[in-house]
Amino acid sequence: MVEGRRTPALAAVALGGLLLVAGVSTPATARVFLTVDEALEMAFPGCAVDRGTVFLTEEQVARASELAGETIGSALVHPYRATCDGAPGGTAYFDTHRVRTLPETLMVVVDPHGAVRRIEILSFKEPPEYIPREIWYDQFTGEPLGPELELKRSIRQVTGATLTARATTNAVRRVLATHQVIEELSAPTAAAGNDGD
Amino acid sequence: MPLFEGLHRRRAVVTAVALCAVVALAATPVLAQSEASAIEELRQEVERLRTELEQMRAEKESAAEVEEVGVEMAEPAEAGADAMADRLDELERQIGILAEEMEREQLGEAAATADRSDYGYGPAASKIYRTGQGLSVGGYGEMLYERFDSTRDDGADSGETDQLDFLRAIVYFGYKFNDNWLFNSEVEFEHGSVEEGGDVSVEFAYLDYLWKPELNVRAGLVLVPMGFVNELHEPTVYLGARRPDVERRIIPSTWRENGFGLFGEAGPVSYRTYIINGFKGEDFSAGGLRGGRQKGSEAVAEDFAWVGRLDYQPVPGLLLGGSAYLGDSGQDLTGNDGREIKVGTTIYEGHAEWRWRGLELRFLGVRADLDDVAELNRALGLSGTASVGEELSGWYAQVGYDVLGGRSGDQELIPYVRWEQLDTQDAVPVGFSSNPANDQESLTLGVAWKPFPQAILKADYQDYDNEAGTGIDQFNVALGYIF
Repeated sequence: MVEGRRTPALAAVALGGLLLVAGVSTPATARVFLTVDEALEMAFPGCAVDRGTVFLTEEQVARASELAGETIGSALVHPYRATCDGAPGGTAYFDTHRVRTLPETLMVVVDPHGAVRRIEILSFKEPPEYIPREIWYDQFTGEPLGPELELKRSIRQVTGATLTARATTNAVRRVLATHQVIEELSAPTAAAGNDGD
Repeated sequence: MPLFEGLHRRRAVVTAVALCAVVALAATPVLAQSEASAIEELRQEVERLRTELEQMRAEKESAAEVEEVGVEMAEPAEAGADAMADRLDELERQIGILAEEMEREQLGEAAATADRSDYGYGPAASKIYRTGQGLSVGGYGEMLYERFDSTRDDGADSGETDQLDFLRAIVYFGYKFNDNWLFNSEVEFEHGSVEEGGDVSVEFAYLDYLWKPELNVRAGLVLVPMGFVNELHEPTVYLGARRPDVERRIIPSTWRENGFGLFGEAGPVSYRTYIINGFKGEDFSAGGLRGGRQKGSEAVAEDFAWVGRLDYQPVPGLLLGGSAYLGDSGQDLTGNDGREIKVGTTIYEGHAEWRWRGLELRFLGVRADLDDVAELNRALGLSGTASVGEELSGWYAQVGYDVLGGRSGDQELIPYVRWEQLDTQDAVPVGFSSNPANDQESLTLGVAWKPFPQAILKADYQDYDNEAGTGIDQFNVALGYIF
């Protein structure tokens, strides 16, 4: 049984301990409020990044929507292609979508084989408690577009952030689908001139 | 000439495609109404460029006619072609700028300041893009139908009346002042109308100072961070038409008190630790601690308490954690002998959750110990089986499985089962006795259907047993939503 006078002392010890833990822990991962520049620097350190502009045709939007399993809302896509030591270093895309009532912006980095390499949160306007833990995002690493890339399949659900988890999974599917269509576009048989700058 | 024509044709195609795409994009819905005006401005710019393109087409046709007239006109035609190529270059440049503007509108505050060339990087990004501010509104609600058995387990009339209650309608308001400071609140309307016994409460209202993920500060009316349901009590988050009894009677959800503390996360570990006003022990009862909540309303603050929680997520889907509450609940209550009764109160709780594919498993166990209960009983005039529990304990295990498992879009269909055991008088002081009705078990069998992630319909049957044989079974249906 706890005597009343012990409570403040215990509280002080607990608070002090937690402050110590916080003080010596690793630096912030800064998932929130990255700018595009900062996110790209994190994803492609020391690499050259070229911002492309792709205007998808109606047929390409339909194809990407079919691959993603939901409607792709925009025909205008900006792939950020990285070149590292003269070799392709991957492509980053930015996707803004609604979580509950407010938007978040994600960067999804796709490796040269079409699988997810990395996800970063650039902005998140819902309360911070709705952001899943970093380890949850790690589930996407190495995942290609496919039927397993769904919540409750290869992506596990997360308590207390289910809407964010679903919004993120859908965004990753959209990005991978769009990337696949753009890669098909870049194939030698594709019509020239659709990829600006 | 062939070179010019090829160039012209290619650029015309690029320009036309770009214009169509930008116009199409400008017509699509955007997230925020405030973005609409910016998109409209971009659309007007595109219209201007379209008009200019029409003029160029007319000029091209005119140039072609001139070319047919004769060699003596060749030089003026060459000059016109060069001018047209320059203007096409300018059009392409302007469309590129418009495309960037559209991207900025889409990305909002995260938009980059860098241009389209290679990035030299470095921390060049402007802080202005990080100052996302504004109001956040959300909410949830639930309607509950309860149909009680007409008889108790011992065959006596249950005396219960079936009811259909709009149990909760909640509105969240949050405001982000800047990147470091935010306010969050929940206002609850219970049971439909205050005229019919319902009430209106502020369930939480606090200010956060967000320093870094590992260390942040919170102060105000806070949710006590114990168990699963107290902090995450939206109907779409937990299985069961009704909240688990263990998380209502021993962890008295929704439990909120005034206080302050720290919260954060580091790697797989997260924590919350608060100093809050303590329970008001004179409102404890044989049925549990629920009556002792002060709910932030002119809370007596003679005694404070510490509550802390630690969660560990080693792999996605697995959560292991625990929490503890230590503090006095006397709040200057004096006994019949004139001495202060402190009512030291300790609650320990452990929880685990495992989610894998469609499977979700939950376990929670909790124990509470109270001091000075005999003195408290005497001060409150309680005797016999009406004693406040000196020890309270309970646990539950729950399993659910989404049979659709991501195979049917956003829909979920989750049969579930929950087993609960609790006793709010696990021990009572010498001279008092436990009411066997407070030693209860329940089995809940049900199914939850989510037509989409923000709505849920739950139906279950609860078989209640207790040591007194007075358990009353019930059938429940709950409709919930969150936005």
